[in-house]
Order: sequence, then C-alpha cells, then structure tokens
Amino acid sequence: MLGRGVATGPQPLGGTGTVRIGIVGCGAIAETAHLPAVLSSRAVALTALSDINLARLRYLQRQYGLGPIGFRDYREAMPHVDAVILALPNNLHASVGVELLSQGIHVLCEKPLALSRDEGEQLCQAARAARAVLAVGFVTRFFPSTELTKQLIESGLLGEVQSFDYEFGTPGGWAALSGYTLARSTSGGGVLVVSGSHFLDRMIYLFGEVEVISHADDSRGGVEANCTTWFAARVQGRPLHGRVLLSKTHQLANRLRIVGANGALEIKEGQTRSVTYVPSEGGVRHDITAVGTPPAEMEPNYAQLQLQDFVHAIQTGAAPKVDGQQGCKSVALAERCYAVAKPLPEPWCEATLERLSRAVTPASANPAPPELSLAGPDSP
Amino acid sequence: MSPPLARRVLVTGATGFVGGRLCEVLALTGVFPFRAFVHSTAAAWRIARLPLDFAVGDLCDRRAVERAMRGCDAVVHLAWGSDAVMRRGLDNVLRVAVEQGVSRFVHMSSVAVYGDRPPADSVSEAAPARRTDMAYGNAKLQQERRVLWYWKRHGLNAVILRPPNVWGPFAPFTLNLISKLRSRSIAIVEGGRNPCNLVYIDNLVQAILLALWKPEAVGEVFFVTDGAVVTWEQSITDHAALVGVAVPRVASPRERMFRDSMRAWPQVLVDRDLRRVLARIPVVRKAESVLYGWFQSLAEETRQRIRLALRGPERLLRDGAGERRFRADDPLIAAQGRTVAHSSAKARRLLGYTAPVSYAEGMSLTEAWLRHSRIIEGDAVPEPAPAPAPAPALAVAAGP
Repeated sequence: MLGRGVATGPQPLGGTGTVRIGIVGCGAIAETAHLPAVLSSRAVALTALSDINLARLRYLQRQYGLGPIGFRDYREAMPHVDAVILALPNNLHASVGVELLSQGIHVLCEKPLALSRDEGEQLCQAARAARAVLAVGFVTRFFPSTELTKQLIESGLLGEVQSFDYEFGTPGGWAALSGYTLARSTSGGGVLVVSGSHFLDRMIYLFGEVEVISHADDSRGGVEANCTTWFAARVQGRPLHGRVLLSKTHQLANRLRIVGANGALEIKEGQTRSVTYVPSEGGVRHDITAVGTPPAEMEPNYAQLQLQDFVHAIQTGAAPKVDGQQGCKSVALAERCYAVAKPLPEPWCEATLERLSRAVTPASANPAPPELSLAGPDSP
Repeated sequence: MSPPLARRVLVTGATGFVGGRLCEVLALTGVFPFRAFVHSTAAAWRIARLPLDFAVGDLCDRRAVERAMRGCDAVVHLAWGSDAVMRRGLDNVLRVAVEQGVSRFVHMSSVAVYGDRPPADSVSEAAPARRTDMAYGNAKLQQERRVLWYWKRHGLNAVILRPPNVWGPFAPFTLNLISKLRSRSIAIVEGGRNPCNLVYIDNLVQAILLALWKPEAVGEVFFVTDGAVVTWEQSITDHAALVGVAVPRVASPRERMFRDSMRAWPQVLVDRDLRRVLARIPVVRKAESVLYGWFQSLAEETRQRIRLALRGPERLLRDGAGERRFRADDPLIAAQGRTVAHSSAKARRLLGYTAPVSYAEGMSLTEAWLRHSRIIEGDAVPEPAPAPAPAPALAVAAGP
C-alpha cells in the first residue's frame, strides 16, 4: 500500500504454500521462457495471463491447455494473483509495475527494469512502500559460470586483473512480436539495451562500480544496431579498463575475456556451467567447473531457477538474486552511455549520400523534376 | 521548381539488402518521406537505426497491405520470398496501389528474366524475355508481366528495373562470393573473360530514386548497371585479394548430369543428417537397424569395398585438402557463361541515370564494410591484449 511509509524489506507471504502467479505481456519471452517455467513449477499456480492481443491470448491458452485465465486488461487480473511476471514492452514496465506493486503484488520484471533510472527508482520506491518483492529478469546471473567467474577473479587466479573484453553479435536475432525493439520510445535503446543489458548487469556484479569512458554507436536517429563502449572499473584497488562490442548486424566472437597478469578467463556466450582459464604461458586451456555443478545432461532450466528465487523471496522476505536496486544500476549505466554517445564512422553509409540526393535535386545535371506524372498506359 | 518531397513512399522488402540501403538513403537525405513494410522485426535492425515509420505485416495479408499503404502515394516493391509472396503478395500490393490511387509503382525485377544464357540482343531491354530453366528468372518474368498488366489495364504508373548482380556492403552477391572464395568452391571459368554484369548498390538506389518521379519512366523497363564493364576475372580476383586466397582456373565446366547424379544418390542415402530425419519414421528406423546389422556381419574387407563404392576415391592435395570439384550449376559458375553485357543506356537517356559510384570506389567502400563486419581480417578498433597462440590443430588423415 503506497504511503504506508514502511521500508523494512518485503513482507514475507509466509509458509511454503503455492503462490498465485500471473503473466502480464504474452510476447515471445513469455511463450518461450516464462510460461514453461511457471507451468513446470510446483511452487506456483498460473492464475492469470494478460495481453491486449486477444488472438495471442487464445493461442497461448490453447497451446498450453489453460483454463479461462486470460485477461485483456491486466487490472482485471490483479485480484487473482499474488505475484506477476511483467513481460510487457520496456516502456510499460514502470507504469504497470508501479500499479501492481502499489497493490502489494510482487513483480518479477523482465530486463531492462525501466527506460530510465528515474523510472527504475519509482519502481523500487513502490516496492519498498508496499513491502513487495521487485526482482529483475537477468537470467544469466543464475548461470553457474557467472558466480564462478566472480570467485575466480577474487581468488587471485589471474593475478593483477588488467583488462576485459566482451563481444556479442549476431545478424538479427530476437524477433519481438510487437516490434517494440525497433523504436527508442518503446525499447529505451538499441543493441546496448536489447542484447547488452545482461552483460551490463553482469559487469557491475563482477567488477563493482563501473564508469563509462566512451561510447560510439551507429544510431542515425533510431536505435543503434552496433556499438563500441569503453568502461573503467576498479578491481582489487587497481584500475581496470574494458571494451564492450555489440552488434545486431554481424557475427562477433561472442565471449567475455578477462585478462590478468597470470592469464585470462574466457566465457563463451552460452557457456553456462564452466569457465575457461588460459594461462599466459603454456598455451593449455583449462575448463574449470565448480564442485557441485550439475552435469551437462542434467542442466537446470534457468528461467525456472529464476522463478524459484523469486518465489523464495516472496515466501521468506529474503532479497531476490537481482533486486530492483541492481536493476536500476544497469539502466543508469546504459543512460550514461547514451549521454556521451558519438557516431560510429560508417563510410559505406555516408560517402555517397550527397551524390544520391542529387537524383531528386533540381541543381543536378538531371532535368528538374516536374509535378507528379499522371501519364497512363497510352502516353509513352 | 521544387522536387516532389511531399510524397510518402511505401518500401516493401525494407529489411532486405536493397530495401535496407534504400531506407538509409531516404532517411538520411530526406529526399522522400517513406514507410518501411517489415515482415520480421528480427531482420529490421539495420533500418531501425533510422527515424522510422514502419508497418509490421505479411504481404499475403491484404488488410496488412492496405493499412501499410494508407497515406502513401508511391511504392517501391522490393519484397521477394516464397511463391505466395511472389504471386499473392505482389497481387495484393498492385491491387491496393490501384485502389489507393498510388501515382508511382517501382518494381524490382532482375536480368535473370533472360535465364542463364541470355540472347545476344539482350544488350538492350528491347530483347523479349521468355521462360527459361531458371526458376527465379521465371518468377521475376511472371511478376513483370503482372505489373505491366496493371499498368495497361488499370493505368498504374509502373516502372520496372532490371539490375544484374547487385554488389557492395550487405550484398548477398558479395557475401556469397567471399564465402565461396574462402571455402575454395569457386573457380575462374574460361579465363573469366565474360562480363560480370554488376551494379553497385548505391547506383541501383540512384535509379530507384529517379524512377520514383521521372515522367519518362512510366511503363518502361530499365537495365541498371555500373558505368564500366568489369569481367568475372577482375571481380573474382579483386574479392580474392581481400580474402587473401588464390583462385583456381578451370576450362568450361562440362555438365555431367546423369553420371554425377548417379554418383550422388548413394552419398545422399548414407548421409547422417538425412538418416536422422528418416529415422523418425518407425518402419524406416527398423529397416535401417536390420540393414546396419547385416552390414556389420560382413567381412571387414567387404565393408571397405562398399564404403569405397559409396564415397568414391578421395584424392588429396599436398595440404591435405580434398581436390576441388566445381559444380557446373553453381550460380557463380553458371553465371560466368553469360556473354552479354546488359547496357543501362536507356536508363541514362530517359532517367538521367549516372551510376555515380565507380567500381574502384565501390570496392573501397565494400572493403571498409567487410572489415568492420569482421567478414575479412583487420578490425579498425584496437584489440586488447592478444590471445595466446592456439595449440596446433591435429592433422586428420582423410581416407575412404
């Protein structure tokens, strides 16, 4: 309840009873990740599914054999749920999330938490006021390799950590059904937000406070498809610089590489269970797996682990693995990148524009364009 | 007199290679307001960089086409794809264009309407095109006839452009050539003396812009080519230099359709991927199991003879790579047999087309993009600490 002024963390639901959960926003991520996770979990019961697109709701209800739990308006679903997975387009996270949290409904919000730090803070404030759980869907935090990387850095295996380099690029990729990723007003940014926000979150987790040194991207008034960003952090009291290269138009190396005096750690995209250590001398690569990591054939569903963590936070009052405050940090970092953005040079895009514009410019060697032609089939 | 800047152009196929560049030029020069018709949002990242007015939909859905074309008075139809998109999709766009009174319709066709062996008189567009054994060319020819029918029957102000190989940044032709060079599956045929028939992407975009407003364009078909005629030898060797490979030279490839087909059949049938698919059928799975049991029961010598008969002898070059055979029906091999250089003289005369980007400049811009995109070596962005040298790869002996 807003205005109660109590800020002592989430109010535990108590017990281990089933949590009534709803999914608001039934796009691609809801279909492929959240619905299977919810339906295969014993800790939750799916009691509401909400999307403004009725055909989409019906399709998902039929596909998963669900009862009459579909609502076009998420407000109608609110009495039926204790918690919600919020998977709407990014621009709706803040307004809908605040409304849900204000009613004491716990929220697992898809990444990024919001379009701006201000919006993220509003969500955190609403969660504090209602003593509701606000978790952010950075699912890669649940990979054993993320925790292992952090521990190996802290263990001193690399010696003095000198630099890091992260690349992720594929031509195209995730197809958002609503197309919200095609406009800054709905997505909050381009490849940095859509592909990069997972790494921004992991980078802060691994290295602590991170500053932006420079950011260049290929946005020409829309959302960027390519960007190169340099960051600075401090690890073990020493400065650390790193580059992040992201692309939606071409393939990149798709790995994180952390270089130290003794060697480097490499984690390929999708390398969820282990970390590769490459010593400076010897050239032998070692795959390191933490004791207790399930074998590859028994690898868990990470969306389900994320859901379990969310439910655990609801039932016990413990903080979720990625809470709203952490979600705010990666949003703020993306904001700082865009604030210092410079254009990436693209000679293949720009070099000929002036010549091409002359094709419809009277000053060219071409004759001046007349009014619209009404010529019909007999005129030539 | 001011250009007709108030018009809004609907670009179909906007996320494709030509559409992507056209949208870039329209947005960054501001010469025409436009709307991009987008089929898959996953493919739209190149144009999402621009301030974009877009509509998401399927050309086969007429209502989606109507919604997308609302407020547009010109269309550039670049979309291609399945048979349904080529026929029903085009029909939808043409009908809606007529209904909504579109004043200019630019349709992207191809010199492929003449097939792999264009007649000698197809230097000019006046040469009649007929059905050939090239499916893509036939589909494009059918589309041309449909577009011209709408011009004659409904007075739709249509213009047809026939580019040859469109090259440059993002071009499938360029990427395919680089890929074939890298895998050493392309050769220069008969000295590569025939014309390559190229048009740099920006030259094609200039032709589209001109076709959008030139009164002389209506009802006409235009070849759109680069200024200079470049031979296959030059094009292939220039691209090979970027990749850093030598290109083999072969005499005219002989079509050995029957013999090659007979040799291919057993290989297809023992292909692991095909067997995996077929094994979904229980009766096939059972039969394969019985057959495999029988094969295993044979003497090792007999099994080796069968393997050799199925796979054929494998001859090795000194570096361990298998001797290359070049398929005569590979598009990049077959196209080298085209002796005609299509001329864009008509486009120059009627449209004022100038092909403003030279071959040399086009190559330079393409190289910059290929490096940026990591398709060829040499990134302009400085790398951090270099990776340690990888362990040497094991040499694997190939054999039957």
